[in-house]
Amino acid sequence: MPHCPPEQLALAALHEPLPDDDARHLADCAVCRTEVDSLRRAVDAVAVPELAEPGPTATPPASVWAGIAAATGVTAVPEGVPAAQPATAQVLPLRSRSRRRGVLLVAAAVVTGAVAGAGVTALVRGGDDDTRQLTTVALDPLTDERASGRAEVVVRGDGSRALEVQLDAPALDDEYYELWLIEPDVVDMVPLGVLRPGSQTFELPAGLELAEYPLVDVSVEPLDGDPTHSGVSIARGQLDS
Amino acid sequence: MSELLVAPPSPPSSVRVVFEDSVAAGSGAREPADTAFGDLAPDDAEVGRRFAAGDEQALAWAYQRWAGQVHGMAVRAFGPGPDAEDVTQQTFIAAWTGRARFRPGESPLPAWLVGICRHKIADTWARRDRQRREAEAALSQAQATPTGTPGPSVDSVVADRMLVLDELDRLGQPQRGIIELAFFADLTHSQIAERTGLPLGTVKSHIRRTLERLRSRLEGDGAALPA
Repeated sequence: MPHCPPEQLALAALHEPLPDDDARHLADCAVCRTEVDSLRRAVDAVAVPELAEPGPTATPPASVWAGIAAATGVTAVPEGVPAAQPATAQVLPLRSRSRRRGVLLVAAAVVTGAVAGAGVTALVRGGDDDTRQLTTVALDPLTDERASGRAEVVVRGDGSRALEVQLDAPALDDEYYELWLIEPDVVDMVPLGVLRPGSQTFELPAGLELAEYPLVDVSVEPLDGDPTHSGVSIARGQLDS
Repeated sequence: MSELLVAPPSPPSSVRVVFEDSVAAGSGAREPADTAFGDLAPDDAEVGRRFAAGDEQALAWAYQRWAGQVHGMAVRAFGPGPDAEDVTQQTFIAAWTGRARFRPGESPLPAWLVGICRHKIADTWARRDRQRREAEAALSQAQATPTGTPGPSVDSVVADRMLVLDELDRLGQPQRGIIELAFFADLTHSQIAERTGLPLGTVKSHIRRTLERLRSRLEGDGAALPA
């Protein structure tokens, strides 16, 4: 018998049963089976239940719309969604220390886009005449961590900027805290230095665009000589525009 | 548009942004969607047209009507929590910023949103896969014990999946609708013909051509075919 028609082989690739003649031929013909297998690669790549047509619905928390509104600048409000969420004060979901590596990207990606167009501008005056306070951000703790704090961006009379950080956290033995400014999509980050519980001031590099690095992050770093972020964050906040 | 107020350090979120108009909009609790809009609510097709045209209210309507479906998919993939919420949020942000690519005449807006949601789910898998490989590579480097295994390589199914989803975006109609019914609704070709009203032979030949096209994309790995 001749080879199966090409359309039948495509249906076989989709796991549809073939007419008896074609099915019998396919069972014996290496050429046709190879063809089915090669067509099936695409089928199998997406044949997972997670990608299937939507099933039961789920109501997202209000923070999801808040993030969308912040990223798109859209001020219209869906019915049933609380409107007055302070979207730009959104604090990232925080991760447990036990999940050592690789959690940082996932955690911070949650607000990707939520700060689009953010620009830190002087909105609040505080302190003495020489120092203007630009913005303040709460550093919120992990659910199972006791760390929390607060960070303030200040501009001095000479135009230099600093980040004043208050950290309430337990002292560490074989690890240390490090302070970071991180991009919304967490590709780039700027290490500001070793942080200890209490109050400290960190110089901000001149020319650093704070709007590009709005996430203030406190990590726990092992003493392993690795200068990159450990992926373990204990507190985090997001600078506002 | 807004005024930044710095709150005392004690509350968990010390920075508050007050949007004057949104506060006003949110000051009165409204009725749920169906009863509140009444005659004013446009039908789904109209929401799709306005969405494509950039009407901001259409984004709110789309969210109101289809966030549940999208989030349901995200929760099915990742369970309730930050990953699912991220997928839902990213889906709507990407839909809005990419609305120029949405053709209201070709497919319903919810189907388009679901397509984007599939991408976001696959992206999350790919990101996790990459992180796992990086972590493993870092670990084996740290241990400095050559294991004989090659360096991290992309999981081939993860990569295939992203290529297939990408190629689906390039398909016109009715090819895209047909293959999506086969892939994601698990319909046979005769069920697809019934559902779409297209002749059986047309459905079969579209399926064949689309699978060939996807195969070329996978085997050529990236050479985009003309739509």
